[in-house]
Amino acid sequence: MGWEMWIITTLSRTLAYGTPLLLGTLGEIYTERSGVLNLGVEGMMIMGAYSAFTTAYITGNPWLGILVGGVIGGIFSLIHAFASVTLKANQVVSGLSLTMLGLGLSGVLGRGWEGKPLPNPIPAITVPGLSKIPILGPILFEGQNLLVYLTILLVPLLWYILYRTRIGITIRSVGESPATADSLGINVDRVRYLCVLVGGVLAGVAGGYLSVAYRPAWTEGMTAGMGWIVIALTIFAFWNPAHGMLGAYFFGALYILSFRLQPWISPEFLKAMPYAFAILVLVVVSRGTLQKRMGAPAALSVPYTRGEE
Amino acid sequence: MKKPAWLNVERRPAASGRLVFAVSIIAILAALVVAGIFFQIYGVSPVRAYQVILKGALGSWLGLTETVRRAIPLLLIGVGLTIAFRALFWNIGAEGQLLMGAIAAAGVALFSGLPGPLLLPVMFIAGFAGGAAWGLIPAVLKVKLGINDVITTLMMNYIAIYLMEWLIHGPWKGPTARGFAYTDQFPRAAWLPTLYGTRIHWPTLVLGLLLALVMYILVTRTRSGFEIRVVGENPDAARFAGISQLKTTLLVMFIAGGFAGLAGVGEVAGIHHKLLGPLNISMGYGYTAIIVAWLARRNPLAVIITSFLFAIIISGGDVIKVSLGLPFQLINVFNGLILFFLIGSEVFIRYKASFSFRRQ
Amino acid sequence: MKTRFAVVTLVAMAVVFSLATVAMAKEYVPGDPLKVGFIYVGPIGDLGWSYAHNEARLICEATFPWLETVYVESVSEGSEGLYIDKLIQDEGCDVVFTTSFGFMDGTLDAALRHPDQIFAHCSGFKRNDNMMTYMADFYQIYYLNGLMAGALTETNKVAYIGAFPIPEVKRHMDAYTVGVREVNPDADVHIRWIYEWFSPPAAKEAAQALIADGCDVFAFTEDSPTIVQEAAASGYASFGHYSPMYDFSPDHIVSGQIAHWEAIYLDFLAKVYAGVYTAHNLANVDYWWLLQEKAVEMGAKPGMLINPVYDDQLKAVTVDDPVLGTISVYDLVLKRLEQMSDPSMVFDPFNGPIYDRDGNLKVPAGLRLSVFELTTMDWAVDGLVGPWE
Repeated sequence: MGWEMWIITTLSRTLAYGTPLLLGTLGEIYTERSGVLNLGVEGMMIMGAYSAFTTAYITGNPWLGILVGGVIGGIFSLIHAFASVTLKANQVVSGLSLTMLGLGLSGVLGRGWEGKPLPNPIPAITVPGLSKIPILGPILFEGQNLLVYLTILLVPLLWYILYRTRIGITIRSVGESPATADSLGINVDRVRYLCVLVGGVLAGVAGGYLSVAYRPAWTEGMTAGMGWIVIALTIFAFWNPAHGMLGAYFFGALYILSFRLQPWISPEFLKAMPYAFAILVLVVVSRGTLQKRMGAPAALSVPYTRGEE
Repeated sequence: MKKPAWLNVERRPAASGRLVFAVSIIAILAALVVAGIFFQIYGVSPVRAYQVILKGALGSWLGLTETVRRAIPLLLIGVGLTIAFRALFWNIGAEGQLLMGAIAAAGVALFSGLPGPLLLPVMFIAGFAGGAAWGLIPAVLKVKLGINDVITTLMMNYIAIYLMEWLIHGPWKGPTARGFAYTDQFPRAAWLPTLYGTRIHWPTLVLGLLLALVMYILVTRTRSGFEIRVVGENPDAARFAGISQLKTTLLVMFIAGGFAGLAGVGEVAGIHHKLLGPLNISMGYGYTAIIVAWLARRNPLAVIITSFLFAIIISGGDVIKVSLGLPFQLINVFNGLILFFLIGSEVFIRYKASFSFRRQ
Repeated sequence: MKTRFAVVTLVAMAVVFSLATVAMAKEYVPGDPLKVGFIYVGPIGDLGWSYAHNEARLICEATFPWLETVYVESVSEGSEGLYIDKLIQDEGCDVVFTTSFGFMDGTLDAALRHPDQIFAHCSGFKRNDNMMTYMADFYQIYYLNGLMAGALTETNKVAYIGAFPIPEVKRHMDAYTVGVREVNPDADVHIRWIYEWFSPPAAKEAAQALIADGCDVFAFTEDSPTIVQEAAASGYASFGHYSPMYDFSPDHIVSGQIAHWEAIYLDFLAKVYAGVYTAHNLANVDYWWLLQEKAVEMGAKPGMLINPVYDDQLKAVTVDDPVLGTISVYDLVLKRLEQMSDPSMVFDPFNGPIYDRDGNLKVPAGLRLSVFELTTMDWAVDGLVGPWE
């Protein structure tokens, strides 16, 4: 196989593997932009994966599975929202407990489901005509599925909402300075609840994608730490959906390459790259004026109580 | 959320130890009741399940010693974390620091060529250094560059995991491991002594208990401890008082990372006697210890109790796996539920509710 | 003062009480009901290694009325010690099977700790008076699969995705390659490692990586049907592994390897029951069971050696064998199967001369590899391409 085909197939696989990363990241970006740190992404993803798989298996409809996955992820995230926003509890502990709960619950409930092949996974599509476009065609339009395309479309949508609409400004101000936002009449709690919910739903859908489209099966712990990569990616993306897309596909490519380049590069090195990169990127950005424009939301992980600042 | 007019909620100035204890116990009991539902789903009566768990985790010599053994790393890491949390440094990286300590100890055991009696002490020192170094990196990044500590410590966990994987697959793969991903077994002199017939590597246990006491004294009676507490409770006041944020942060992470490193030494020198897959060594202790420390309300001495409590839960998980045929994952459900009830109970500790039915 | 006293008393009572429960587990008396524990490294739902062991366990329970079994799944390596202790002390097991190489040292420690109980360790090499080793090995079947792969490949690139670079997997890769090269001297076997026994996403990506490299026939050592499905999605043939995987791709699975651990378990447990094997005479007991003992079977499902879908293709390719003459691959496979199942093992894949991929003669003409050389196999047969560590 020539160089060209090798690159094309690598990029094509990157698109497939990067999609759940991107979905999760987009969600976590919104959550963190509103000032809530959600370390429970892994738990939400795996609950999404489990519920999506079982729904798709029982009803025979994989899209219903994805929907249910998102709903379950959302419900889970509401627990975190309640703890973090209403009870003003420690967000780190709350997020970690959610991850534990999600992993545990999915492991317990999913016991009898391991190894069952899904009869109707989300079908792979080849778009006639478009797939004949040289280079881009086979990457984008051959063997991918609808969810991949929907995810790509989500990026400009979520970017636009965050940076060009009133809602977006509201979210960002809540994350930067909740006291100011509050004094302007914004309901800080409601905004945060909403953003956490968005994060949870997207995480659930990401998990559903894994179990219904990418590798249609259920296995205990199948998200294998993807939730933590999402958290790394959120930082790597500077909390910006557009960068999130680049980051998700970049990290996805690293995973794919860890197999392709196995004869030449140590796979552990490539697998550690996403995490090392996230730190590197933070270091580079923290120097100087970039920090102001691209740093973390100032109020990230700090609970807000009126009159207590 | 609008509160009804007849309900007054005011912040409680300071919660008494007894109240905290009582509320925590109630929360845990409530979690146990809810968890009981899961047992019922599997057709096992919750009462019988808890009986089996308690008996398995505490009611037999094997069970009791296993529980104590599980508590050792939780104790060491937990104590270190209480110090870090006091300075508001959210060290999520104990897993990675534990692994770095294990790597350092393994390096000494396998390659240093030191004479027998020196091996274990040097391993502990090296393990402490390894964990401390791993913890100091995020500390420096936070103080000098303002980078979020939760993120950096979390990322460093994974780097440590892949570093260890690279070592056991590559340069440190043991010739006697026949191609499997392990190092050679440590020489006998590098094995921690265990209490007869048990898996309790008692030197590490003693170390943990001692350090808990020392840290308690540090925090409550020394100047450094005072500085740590001020930095955590009132960073502005700390700055005015001339307390160096840098020095304090470095100190707490030196301790927290170092203690996690010691836990890593205990695991490889006391239990495994070689390096294997990183997750088989760290077993989530680094994350569980966060909860252990949090539950101890940052009191190093209380960690002795909370680490033992969580050791019972982990041990209970082993029991249900063997005796009840229930999935081990039930324990994670357990832990998650307990945590949530505890988080929920915080409200009762932090706020005081009073009722007034008089017209306002 | 009072509380401290109370605490100390309570602790002392707990210690004394639990000490009192240290039961000395008794040695098994032949003819009594036998209780056996199994420790699995993975979930029984993995449809691979642990699944196969569990199926065998169920067969034993159904066969022997005097047998009671208990199992623990998903035991991580390094943790087996405490589960073995629990099986013996809390569950009263007389025999414990530990089914993964990584349990070796832990099992040996347990055997020394419990001199009256019987231990059996799978795929290892350390034994004791009360600890034997056992293995149902596939290398002969991988050779047969290789013959078929060599005939079916059109790109002359065949894939083998391995879990860990351990002697067991390397031995299988070597046997497979010997088979491939016998039929098709121009074909190469391309390798990728997953570094896990069970990881569907890694298996998927590894398969995709090899598809991208041009491979069109797939064999593997991984405990899930992922690679069968991945290969089938691209229209490529594959061989199932460990458990019957035919249902996952009836049109693209050629054959495979199926484990029948019950052959070993039934034999061993019957002998323990009869008092032939005790906790004192196992130091030289090593079940190295192959085709002739019926511990392993070729096929994608029991009873189906070769998928009929591929019959014509295999009959169309012929090989010139010095002994058998010109023979179709189809017939060659069946002939070799017969030869290897013969108690005197007329044929072995590793008959010399065999060269490694650096050109060294590893097996001189007229010689075979000993069991020891097989279980410690570390070198790559000529024809293997890719990372070897």
